[in-house]
Amino acid sequence: MIHLDGVSKIYDNGCVALSDITLDIPKGDFVFVVGPSGAGKSTFIKLIFREELPTKGKLIVNGRNVGELEPSEIPYLRRNLGIVFQDYRLLPNKTVYENVAFAMQVIESSRRDIQKRVSHVLDLVGLRHKAKNFPGELSGGEQQRIAIARAIVNNPVVVIADEPTGNLDPETSWDIMRIFERINRNGTTIVMATHDKSVVDAMKKRVIAIEKSCIARDQVRGVYGYED
Amino acid sequence: MKIRTMEYFIKEALTSLKRNGLMSFASVTTVALSLLILGMFLVMVLNLNNMASTLESQVQISVYLQDGLTDLEMREVGTRITKIPGVVQVSFVGKEEAMSRFKERLGEQQGLLNALGEANPLPNAFEVKVDNTERVKAAAQTMMQLKGVENAKFGQEVVEQLFALTKMVRIFGLIIIVFLALAALFIISNTIRITVFARRKEIGIMKYVGATNWFIRWPFLLEGMMLGFGGALVAVLFLNETYGVLIHQVYESLAFLPLIPQYPFITNISVVLLVTGTVIGALGSTISLRRYMRV
Repeated sequence: MIHLDGVSKIYDNGCVALSDITLDIPKGDFVFVVGPSGAGKSTFIKLIFREELPTKGKLIVNGRNVGELEPSEIPYLRRNLGIVFQDYRLLPNKTVYENVAFAMQVIESSRRDIQKRVSHVLDLVGLRHKAKNFPGELSGGEQQRIAIARAIVNNPVVVIADEPTGNLDPETSWDIMRIFERINRNGTTIVMATHDKSVVDAMKKRVIAIEKSCIARDQVRGVYGYED
Repeated sequence: MKIRTMEYFIKEALTSLKRNGLMSFASVTTVALSLLILGMFLVMVLNLNNMASTLESQVQISVYLQDGLTDLEMREVGTRITKIPGVVQVSFVGKEEAMSRFKERLGEQQGLLNALGEANPLPNAFEVKVDNTERVKAAAQTMMQLKGVENAKFGQEVVEQLFALTKMVRIFGLIIIVFLALAALFIISNTIRITVFARRKEIGIMKYVGATNWFIRWPFLLEGMMLGFGGALVAVLFLNETYGVLIHQVYESLAFLPLIPQYPFITNISVVLLVTGTVIGALGSTISLRRYMRV
């Protein structure tokens, strides 16, 4: 599903963010990306959805060579990806329902599909009863669940999450992780950058540790491995 | 493009217009002003051109005679004129007839002539038609040499002056129009920039969920085009009204001025202005989108 072959990312200012990374994430995997701040986790995530371009090497996501995509092809890559951020990024002047439906509107789905899918994913994150509320009326955990609903509403093959529980208390974080697990069980690949030791240690998923721009560890049923 | 998507674009554009009420108003006003001046220059230049070519088509030389010639002397001048090559028709217009024609042209304002009392300052004259426009100048010069002739005038002089005037108006107009168009472009692109800024979060999310660049651009492009079109519409309405009044006034008091009739003349200019306004609007947003939105 995601394949990196000798991928490096060097920013214009000469800063090396990733150096010669080779790894393979098969379909249906659940991967934690861990490591100290500034080690290259975010760059790794950004490369996958083509926010950044690899400086060197080959990066294949869902069968597309990301490094060689024309700008006009980027949207079609992203339609197969769901992206969740630490800060939720919901639109404050749209209701919960509209926020999720927005992701389908902009790729021109039909009205019927939108109604069906939005209700379905709101059920999945357990917030259908808040459909008419505005994000400002919800707790942080609820807002993140809406963001996840938006990320999966277009049936992506990969969900990418950058510190999705970074702003949440432990109990809420667990609610969020259970939702990700459910999504993963339906066959969706999940790549998550995180600092959440207890979550990583408890879930026993594949852990890729990035340190000093390189892969320091890649364990199948790994642990966080750093002291908080 | 789906109809529902189009609806969405239009709704988004209208929402932005409302949200940036003051900037929208400034944009529309600037465009209206620029296009109004553009329209006025168009009306002026086209009318001057029209006048010039109307005069040019009347290849007629007016030969004014010196005062105090006897009938015999006048008839002799007439005979000599007939012999000039190219002359096809010579007709005599006496002082009295010239005066009565003048009165007719003045229409309601002939009261002005009362100030002259009994005096008639108009000269006796011949009106001479020449077979070919190119011979007019030479023929007029020959006539001027004739004994008893005060002056020989032909339309060409006026025509040349009119053309020179048209040229000047055109150059000045062009400079002013370019400046105003740039100002309109600047204001519109600024308005769109504010919209883009106000909605940068939305744009970011649209990009992440896979909206195509054109899907993101359209509402802004539409907003710019609406601003341009709105401004042009104001200019068109104003110009239409003003030209109507102008034509009315001219027909009443200066009927001899050959103005171009209002329709379809103003309709054509309106189309030009509306298209120009819309294009300026689209250009303005394109500038902003390129600079402030990496899509």
